[in-house]
Amino acid sequence: MEIPHEVTPRRDTGLYNAKLGVWLFLASEVMLFGGLFSAYVFLRLGVQDGVDNPWPWGLNVHKGFVWLGFINTLVLIASSVGVVFAWVALKERNWRRFQIYMYGVVACALVFMGIKTVEYNSKLTKHHGIKLVDNSVMEGKILDNTDEIRFEAKSAAFGLQGSAPIFLNEIAEEDFPTFTVQSEEEGDPVQLTSRGEFKRWFVQRRREVASELADERKRYRSELAKGAAAPQPVSVNTSATVTSEEPFTVRANPRNTVTHSDSTINFRDGSKVEGVLTGDDVIFELHEVDMQLVLPTRQRDSILWDVVDDEGAKKMFFDAQTKWYNKMRDYYEARGETIPEKMLRGHKLNLQNVHVGGGHGGKDHGDEGAKGGADQHAAVHHSETNPSASGGGKGDYGSITVPREKIKFMGNHGPRYNNYYGIYFTMTALHGLHVVGGAIVLLYFVVFGKRIYKKNPEHLANRVEVGGLFWHFVDLIWIFLFPIMYLL
Amino acid sequence: MSEEAHDWGKHKKTYFIVGILLFIFTGITLALGLWAPLDMGPPGPTPADYVIGLLVASIKASLVALIFMHLNHEKGLIYKMLLFTFLFFVGLMVLTMFTQSDPIREQFDTLETTEGKLTEQ
Repeated sequence: MEIPHEVTPRRDTGLYNAKLGVWLFLASEVMLFGGLFSAYVFLRLGVQDGVDNPWPWGLNVHKGFVWLGFINTLVLIASSVGVVFAWVALKERNWRRFQIYMYGVVACALVFMGIKTVEYNSKLTKHHGIKLVDNSVMEGKILDNTDEIRFEAKSAAFGLQGSAPIFLNEIAEEDFPTFTVQSEEEGDPVQLTSRGEFKRWFVQRRREVASELADERKRYRSELAKGAAAPQPVSVNTSATVTSEEPFTVRANPRNTVTHSDSTINFRDGSKVEGVLTGDDVIFELHEVDMQLVLPTRQRDSILWDVVDDEGAKKMFFDAQTKWYNKMRDYYEARGETIPEKMLRGHKLNLQNVHVGGGHGGKDHGDEGAKGGADQHAAVHHSETNPSASGGGKGDYGSITVPREKIKFMGNHGPRYNNYYGIYFTMTALHGLHVVGGAIVLLYFVVFGKRIYKKNPEHLANRVEVGGLFWHFVDLIWIFLFPIMYLL
Repeated sequence: MSEEAHDWGKHKKTYFIVGILLFIFTGITLALGLWAPLDMGPPGPTPADYVIGLLVASIKASLVALIFMHLNHEKGLIYKMLLFTFLFFVGLMVLTMFTQSDPIREQFDTLETTEGKLTEQ
């Protein structure tokens, strides 16, 4: 079938159809990204005191990655230039040159996504933050999955309705104990030795309970119908308890729990394990302290300093803070003004570049004595402030023990971390998908385009022009994303 | 044909120059962020920095749109279409002005009680 106006323009529009089509598509894309840019402005202008205030400074968030973002911008611009040159090569009927430029463009897309992967990986797996109950923030890395609650359990109680209890997934498969469950009827207790066995048993029991419940309701209704004034209420045991001879290890994700004590963990689905708590402290490799959300008057006795417990680090922090204050004061004094209160709460207190922690083998000059008894992680080391070493999360930091009751929130630097990361990941990931999609289309043109080129080179040129328009649009979005996410 | 070939040579030169300009402007964007003397207003990002940063980005975006996307010489229909796109986009941005107002509070401000304005209590 011949599709009309692939090459020749339509008389009424003056355009070949694909071009009109792609511009309509780009118009809708402007709306899609426009909505997200608008959301970004909303979030940024609408920051609430003490919640997300101040909005993080892109430079402080990304640090070393600012350079990677810069390189990515150049890579995308280079690819945009490549696309127009590939198009011109087709117009000049030079297949060889078209191929070279187009493969270059696809290579640029791969480099872009590669850098993005490094960046995402660093944020999602290498960096964590802990917000303490007084809103002071520590940035660094949670070691050995210590955000989990470690527990030696003996028994578990759970409901027999709904889905399988959460605690089941918090037992490592190889540690799965032999559960004993007393059967309802007379007879030997049931032994459950694996997760699969447990689930099969659970499903079967759930079915039994459901039918018992139905029978009970039927009985109740029929007794009512017979005229009984107060029939025996519906009563079915819908819970079960399993026990284990040997204690079994539960490592509970705190987000799955409601509360926990020295002897119990209550999960959010109502299930409960009993036993002995072996540890709920978080071992944290401390990279940065951030007091932006703490009132200036409360900073010196913030509970953060109880947790860090290192005078050197504290001094370093306030020295750096004073330096920043002085810079600010100089700026305003030169204009005959005083520092506005808003600025005092804002970037002045931004000390994300101050690194508490230091080389284990180098120039330590702090108290190294163990502070947590036998805890090998208790000593905090610190070294000179070294902002340049911060981006890649290089090791050589001291680690501290953070008691769980002092933690308000902890997590990786994923979308959940705060509004900034939420909108950052939404926008850059959507943009990344566009890069991937565009690269696939352009790659298709160069790999499978020869046939069309032989038949009618102008047809392929038009296709490349249209694909190129999309590619330039993707570049255009990044031109705005780079400064607003990385620099401002 | 030879005339057309000459024409493309001129195009290529333009595209190359625009590419170089985009590289330079990207450098300027980075310098605005990293180089202290170019940091407008008090230290740290301030409205002046946003304006300048976005201005540079807009110049880059215009170069891409006008030259690479051929919007400097396009058929009228596309401009008509983009006019609507532009208007809707402006609408989306205008929406964000709601962060600066608090209509509920303003409503209360107009309600006077016997002891003065409601919000002053």
